[in-house]
Amino acid sequence: MDRHEQTSSNGFALCAVAAEFMALDGAAIALISDDEVLMSLCTSNHAANALMDLEITVGEGPAVDASRGDVIEDTDLLAASDSNWTTYRPEAVALGARAVFGYPVRVGAIRFGALSLFRNSPGPLDEGQAADAYLMASVISRAILAEQAGGSPGGLVGELNGVSMLDFRVHQAAGMLAIQGSMSVRDALVFLRAHAFAIGSQLSELAERVVSGTTRLAAESREWIDEAVGGNDER
Amino acid sequence: MNRESLLIATLVELADNLVDDYDIIDVLTVLTHRCVEAVDVDAAGVMLASPMGELQFVASSSESMTVIELFQIQTNEGPCVDCYRDGLAITNHELSEADGRWPLFTPRALALGFRAVHSLPMRLRGRTIGALNLFRTHQGTLTDDDVIVAQGLADVATIAILQHRSTIDSDALNAQLSNALNSRVIIEQAKGMICQSTNCDMDEAFNRLRAHARNHNEGLTGLATRVVNKSLNSTDLDELVEAKRT
Repeated sequence: MDRHEQTSSNGFALCAVAAEFMALDGAAIALISDDEVLMSLCTSNHAANALMDLEITVGEGPAVDASRGDVIEDTDLLAASDSNWTTYRPEAVALGARAVFGYPVRVGAIRFGALSLFRNSPGPLDEGQAADAYLMASVISRAILAEQAGGSPGGLVGELNGVSMLDFRVHQAAGMLAIQGSMSVRDALVFLRAHAFAIGSQLSELAERVVSGTTRLAAESREWIDEAVGGNDER
Repeated sequence: MNRESLLIATLVELADNLVDDYDIIDVLTVLTHRCVEAVDVDAAGVMLASPMGELQFVASSSESMTVIELFQIQTNEGPCVDCYRDGLAITNHELSEADGRWPLFTPRALALGFRAVHSLPMRLRGRTIGALNLFRTHQGTLTDDDVIVAQGLADVATIAILQHRSTIDSDALNAQLSNALNSRVIIEQAKGMICQSTNCDMDEAFNRLRAHARNHNEGLTGLATRVVNKSLNSTDLDELVEAKRT
């Protein structure tokens, strides 16, 4: 539970930052569990909170759809639409939303959840806002990963500045560890991230060692085996 | 086959591919293979820009780790970065030890035996969305015709990103780019699983994915997703039957 507390406090900051950064009226981050249950990680204000509660209650809306992998926008909730959010739309308007947006928070096939945004006036996001939304979704995926891996708040800053998720070896390593430790790729990525924190290594460097076979997970115990441990240097 | 026939065959093949729910990584991989055949180069690859403007590798004529690394480096610097930033083609850039333009990229490219590099912008209505990167192991220049052919293939790659849409606004384009880049990440995750469970190299893992996708008429990304989600066992992919041709 300790870990969850950390996630929430940091998540709160992220939501507020997202809403303010993009000059919108509210933002929320939803996490999705393995069995597709949506839960709120954080919301930027009361309206965003009420909207997320509504979405979780009725089981439809931008975060639900975005968590499945599609970028979603409904630029005018009062306009005629073939949207299947028949329950969500009028109630969201009643809560003060007019345009809503959802962005997947994911790393490859790992679905963490969604970033949802709203504004109390109709219309699409402008080009800069849309680019910012992708950036926020990417930062959020890294932040969630870092928090689940037990990263310290200090370490998070470096995490967000880095471009480590662009390194294909990180994703290959997660796939390899999933088989080595008989776990999901999502858990394997968290394991990898946690071990990099624990030994003070860059995620890319550790991933490279996993891919080359120098570092691996023991099948049963899931303990790390590092062949360079006996040496006097990391590599 | 002379070049004209090869180009026509390539366009027909791509047109065949660009129907229904085609897989963008698969189409771009085909395109890079044909590029190597139609233009006098030894390796080709496509890098796409995320909506945030970061370049990421998506497809190459070679899936060997060393070649993919040359694209990986270009997340930070290299001909693709310059080409993407300026929206201008870089052609016949000869690589040499003394060349200080790309201090990370150049030594690695030379170590792999490449002597010249080219990068052609993928442009869509004034916006550059990525670059087609070509490598050559021998000295000598691409002719004007080579460059026209290569730019034509870069344009086809751009069209492939649009996925069925005759008109596309920037929102939809961003979504397509984001999905294409995420597809590549899914494939890397699946490659790691296949590599570990069948004790093969990363390039063979990719070839197995691709062969299985083709044999079963399934999209590469969808197949990779099934592997990662374990709805398909990573050891249950088809053996490599005709990996070379495709």
